[in-house]
Amino acid sequence: MSEPDLIARVLAGDRIAARELYDAHSPRVFRLAFRLTGDADLAREFTQDTFVRAFAQLARFRGDSALSTWLHRITVTVVANAMRKVKRFRERETDLEDVHPIGSDGPESGYVDPVLRERLHRAIDDLPEIYRTTLIMHDIEGYTHTEIAEVMGVAEGTCKSRLSQARAQLRATLADLAPELEP
Amino acid sequence: MTEDRFDELMRDAAHTYRKPPQPDLEGMWKAIERDSFSASTAGGGHIGRSKARGLSLVANRWVAIAATLVAGVALGRASASLGRTPVQPTAVPSVSVASAAPAARTDSTGLAQPYEVETSRYLGQTAALLIALPSEARAGRADAQLASRASDLLGRTRLLLDSPVANNADMRNLLEDLELVLAQVARLQDGHSRTDIDLINRALEQRDVLPRLRTAVADISAD
Repeated sequence: MSEPDLIARVLAGDRIAARELYDAHSPRVFRLAFRLTGDADLAREFTQDTFVRAFAQLARFRGDSALSTWLHRITVTVVANAMRKVKRFRERETDLEDVHPIGSDGPESGYVDPVLRERLHRAIDDLPEIYRTTLIMHDIEGYTHTEIAEVMGVAEGTCKSRLSQARAQLRATLADLAPELEP
Repeated sequence: MTEDRFDELMRDAAHTYRKPPQPDLEGMWKAIERDSFSASTAGGGHIGRSKARGLSLVANRWVAIAATLVAGVALGRASASLGRTPVQPTAVPSVSVASAAPAARTDSTGLAQPYEVETSRYLGQTAALLIALPSEARAGRADAQLASRASDLLGRTRLLLDSPVANNADMRNLLEDLELVLAQVARLQDGHSRTDIDLINRALEQRDVLPRLRTAVADISAD
């Protein structure tokens, strides 16, 4: 069954169709939420929020963009709004040792100095929100500039510029550990 | 060389930076299904805006009523306690902020609109605290800050419970459950045991607090 058909059935109250849409899109929504928060409980909450809002507003979806793009736009909005509140309760930065247990590397990873890796992770955490979101979506999650631009509601050129700024900031931050990265 | 090295680092980050765990898709679906379909499909009806809108209208009415009465209760309590103890900077300032300038502005129910904002703020702040709680507590972070925020919210919960807004059975139940949970959080001490957190989590889960709270927040913010 095509996605437009599924959407029509969901709007008619068909839970099975809703479940099909959820099964198709929830893994990537959760991944994005987790990458943006670094916390499984929050990612779970935000994934749920995304779908509750999406089903509540599905009648407004016109199909101008892909459903996945629309869902990821809701996800980014939900995460950004909620994280501003959540951060008020945080006095210290995320303990990255909790988030990235030793040995969690994928098999594709080459050797990277653990100290340099941790510094990079912290530097990503410290990026301004719009740069961080752009960098995570493009370099970490593999979204295209076109997709990110649609999700964030900006021009593609803006998206490229933000990515460039984010990378430059990371390289400057890591310069003392890896001088060859200095821009 | 520089670009290559940096690209290599970013490729590594794609596998190591906040590597997502396996999500509990079934558990998340149950919560989504409950929030999105529980009442609307009994008669095969449509989901979405029509239902949400209906709930919002109901919520709006009690929110407006609640907000006005909360202000009254708060002012009453504040004036009654003036002779005994210093006024707590919990409910009174936030209500007075809301009631100061725009008190004359009213909505279609004839009640002051700023109070709706105040109640929405309360629900949003409570939701934010409870959502952040598991990870914060697990990491052993900010016990004093969490307890202080919970204590503040607890006071505001009791003001709402003391007002006729609690005549709405659903809202009363939600507020009572929030009161219980917030009281537990407010008692958290530095170095709390895992049992303390488990008790709070159990209360949250058994009473289905977060989904109900999330729905209430979404209904209000939708307007």
